Amino acid sequence: MWRTNLKVLAVALIVIGFYTMVAHVIPQLQSEVPEALALTGDVTPEALAAAGERIYSGAGGCVACHGLGTRAPNLVTDQGGEGTIGARCGSRRPGMDCKSYLYESMTNPGAFVVPGFENIMPDMRRQLADDQIWATIAYLQSLGGEVTVTASDYGTSTEAPTGAAPAAAGPALTATTEPLALLREKGCVGCHAIDGAGPPIGPSFDGMGRRLPADQIRRAILLPNADTAKGYEQFAGTMPQTFGQMLSAAQLEAIVQFLAGRR
Amino acid sequence: MTDVVGLLQAAAQAAADTAGGYGHFPGIGARGAVWIAAEVHLMFAAFVLGVPMFAVICELIGIVGKDEKYDKLSKEFTRLLVFAYSATALWGGLLLFFLTTLYPRFWTHMATIFSRSMWVYAGLFFIESFTLYLYYYGWDRWKVGRAKWGHWGLGLLLNVWGTIVMFIANSWLTYMMSPPSGVTAETLPAEVGLWNAIANATWMPINIHRLIGNAVFGGAICGAYAAFRFLAAKTPEERAHYDWMGYVGNFIAISTFIVLPFAGYWLGREIYEYNQQMGITMMGGFMSWLWIVQAVLIGVLFLAANYYLWTGMGRIPGAERFAPYTKWMLLVLVICWIVWATPHTIIATREELAAMGGSHHPFLNVLGVMSAKNTAVNLMILTTFLSFLIYRRANRRPTVAWARTATIIQTAMFAIAAGVVLFYGVYGYFVEAIVRIGFSVYQVLAVLACIIGVSIIDVFLVRGAESRGEIRWGMMPARSQYALFILAVTFTWLMGLMGFARSGIRQHWHVYEVMRDTSADAATPALGEAANMISLCVLIFLGLVAFIFWLGGLAERAGHKAPVALAVPPQPAAGD
Amino acid sequence: MSRVGAWVRHPFWQAVLLLILAYLLFKFGIALLPPLLGMHSAPVPTSVVVQYMLIALVGVLIHVSSDETRWRRFKEPIHDTMVDADKRWVRLAVLILVPLLIGWVTYDQTRPKVEAPITLRSIHPAPPSQITFRGKTIQLTGLENPLRHRGSLTEHIETGKRIYYQNCLACHGDRLDGQGHFAHGFSPTPLSFADQGTIAQLTESFVFWRVAKGGPGLPREGAPWSSAMPVWEDYLTEDEIWAVIIYLYEQSGWKPRTWEESTGGGEH
Repeated sequence: MWRTNLKVLAVALIVIGFYTMVAHVIPQLQSEVPEALALTGDVTPEALAAAGERIYSGAGGCVACHGLGTRAPNLVTDQGGEGTIGARCGSRRPGMDCKSYLYESMTNPGAFVVPGFENIMPDMRRQLADDQIWATIAYLQSLGGEVTVTASDYGTSTEAPTGAAPAAAGPALTATTEPLALLREKGCVGCHAIDGAGPPIGPSFDGMGRRLPADQIRRAILLPNADTAKGYEQFAGTMPQTFGQMLSAAQLEAIVQFLAGRR
Repeated sequence: MTDVVGLLQAAAQAAADTAGGYGHFPGIGARGAVWIAAEVHLMFAAFVLGVPMFAVICELIGIVGKDEKYDKLSKEFTRLLVFAYSATALWGGLLLFFLTTLYPRFWTHMATIFSRSMWVYAGLFFIESFTLYLYYYGWDRWKVGRAKWGHWGLGLLLNVWGTIVMFIANSWLTYMMSPPSGVTAETLPAEVGLWNAIANATWMPINIHRLIGNAVFGGAICGAYAAFRFLAAKTPEERAHYDWMGYVGNFIAISTFIVLPFAGYWLGREIYEYNQQMGITMMGGFMSWLWIVQAVLIGVLFLAANYYLWTGMGRIPGAERFAPYTKWMLLVLVICWIVWATPHTIIATREELAAMGGSHHPFLNVLGVMSAKNTAVNLMILTTFLSFLIYRRANRRPTVAWARTATIIQTAMFAIAAGVVLFYGVYGYFVEAIVRIGFSVYQVLAVLACIIGVSIIDVFLVRGAESRGEIRWGMMPARSQYALFILAVTFTWLMGLMGFARSGIRQHWHVYEVMRDTSADAATPALGEAANMISLCVLIFLGLVAFIFWLGGLAERAGHKAPVALAVPPQPAAGD
Repeated sequence: MSRVGAWVRHPFWQAVLLLILAYLLFKFGIALLPPLLGMHSAPVPTSVVVQYMLIALVGVLIHVSSDETRWRRFKEPIHDTMVDADKRWVRLAVLILVPLLIGWVTYDQTRPKVEAPITLRSIHPAPPSQITFRGKTIQLTGLENPLRHRGSLTEHIETGKRIYYQNCLACHGDRLDGQGHFAHGFSPTPLSFADQGTIAQLTESFVFWRVAKGGPGLPREGAPWSSAMPVWEDYLTEDEIWAVIIYLYEQSGWKPRTWEESTGGGEH
């Protein structure tokens, strides 16, 4: 009897062992968990794009469709001569720039489906936090285009999450993104006139949006000596070059948008 | 702007979540503990839900056909149930404790939504237990006349309770897989609504899939029990009885198993409908290799089942005339298995990759796609059905006048079904994917139509057939019994694997897209690690089942003093 | 003759014969099928052959054991070998060789190898639409070799030849066949430009990208760092790379793939 029992045991063990072996021989893939992002205001585009790449090829699950086979447009390779996604995103939908197109694609995928594909993509807001979505957009833009995602986009999370150290090694910053308060606090109005009042050391803030587009305003704040406005040559070099360190990205964007809006 | 990389892992946040949300279990970790408790509980549950189904059917055959043999068989099945029932409850309790202590946050979420159904569940469990005790211990008391029918009603009731209990439990886990679309991470659990949560997208498909799966599983385990007792049998009568019981178990397991893929197909479609990404993760993404392992297991199942039938033909007079065909059926099965187990993306060394110019082989590529696999599976099902048919027909000589015509029609049905399956299999390569998916439905319908049509003809054909000699029950080589063990082990392992697939496609979510798993074990393990866990669960389950089998023998000996000498009455027909 | 016939009819030798036939079919037979349809063929990878042979073995065992008489006869030679006195030497040989064989296979499976772990690597990954060459942005899409429209072709070939012999020869070889002195030290081995599957299939801008960015510049699906190709933009100027590309095509005799053909299909 014991001989039979042992034989039965041996058969069971061999069968179980065989199945276990088969499962070990095939490629071992572990499904990753998306890392919890907590983007503070002063993240660099590179860091944002790098975080986005991890989401894209990892836990976001994007490559399951985008990148293999024909379920969805391949984003990292050239498609039909239009270039990679960063190069083609701006011209996909008329009247929509790259950033808003990508945001719409991720949050309301059914709004525009690339011809030849089916409407199968889920709303990514159910899977990813807002800052993760923006990081992914930054990554996609970095594929052949320029990263224009900034802290103002994921405005809700500009403040460091409770429990995490605020902006690790950054300089002490006030959190306000209220532009007028910032212009006063950072001493801008000491040289630039606003609402028709103020000293004429730098160009007036009034109508600045008419003279300069937003990116040039941003450049002028970060690199004040790169260009000098006509008529202010004598004051060239007066403006401090430290605003890049003094402002968080959210604050910088707040100022830039505010100034660009002054027409 | 600033060179401070403001990218922080919200480690503190996650740690805060984890601290309140998860417990710690030594050694195998919290996930391991819950995994084992849940899987072993599920295996026992499948057993105690599957066995009553055919215990009741066997009893009915016994009553209607006035055949003592079936009644004995039914009672023997039920005896296994009594022990297995407490094991199910024990493991269920263990699972409950593990969930409340190791996953308190998640448990609170589930309990808030499902509290009322949980109470009903516990109540039904009580009622079910008492029904079972009445059913088993009342067997000899209510043995004749109207009382027997009342007793049979108890068995039916047992099934009803069991099915409701399973449906309730299924609603919890299908809610985890496919919460209703209105539920998001922000929804308060109290606002979800009980019925809304229960009637989610995958609830019914899982219910049906499990109902069938349980019958398959119960049959396989009973087959293994019979094999165990057959090998231990001391008298020819005992051997004859358990040989017959093993045959019935195998018959139930395989005949219900043939329907299982269709239920699985429905479940898969519902998953795709619910969320494309989930479906793709399951079939083409992270889980795609799992289906190769599944193909290996199912290949083993088909071959073992057919092998059992073929060796069994040695005890049927008249079966010799079919012997030459078995090797061709075997060839078909082996070729189909090879096709089915061919991977699409092939593991190869650098030199081989260079020679192939990628990881797809120019020819094997053709076999690796769904078209080929569907064709292979359908042909395997047809072949297995043919084995059954031959087995059934082996010792009979039809006496009806139209026997010859009927056989020709049956042959034609097989040929047509195989032709349809092959045609759509090959034609699938020449059409778009979207059209091809529809073809699998035609293939399945052809096979089902063939099975139903041929069976109906056969029932009338063998009515009043002459016998070529009695089946010599018990004259079975010992090695055939090992095929039954392999079947049972494989079914158990397959259940563990499919459980991993079902649970794993949620990935890092407790409740898909509603409640995130923030524990240290959130990542879904690779197949190798999962296989270790599955094997461990299977070993625990089979170890306990072996103990129960042994108890079954013990109780019997104590009850009867002498070994049961079950008289096997002359049996003109193979048990069906 | 009858002796051979008896052997062939014996289940044990039938089983052995079947297994040998199955092996020949899987190992060589399958590779012969695609050419019948005019397709490119390749040997069957070992992993697949092993898998198929396992299935075939199970099938053969089922065949011999599904019939009582056949099973008894199948076991006879095994039984005889293990018991009969006159088969002592065969027995001894089997009992020594089989464990040795198993031991060797186990050793071979577990011993550390130089080979990199198996990864799924795409040999011609999709190129980016533009690259930054020493700080200058170069649009690859639609780009043609500028030297083909400038200066004298003979001169460019001469320059290319000089650069090739100074830099590329050690790996890619004298005959552009990827058999340079160092070639065997690398995995993957340097590409053979003589092969019709390499530069013959590519545009010059693709080759430019691969030369300029080398192994480290490969995208993920190309398994970066597997290739030992240096980043040539650090050593060569733009024109030098274009010149060496002209030399490669000139010397190998291939024509570069042109944009008119390839712009249509972004995916291949």
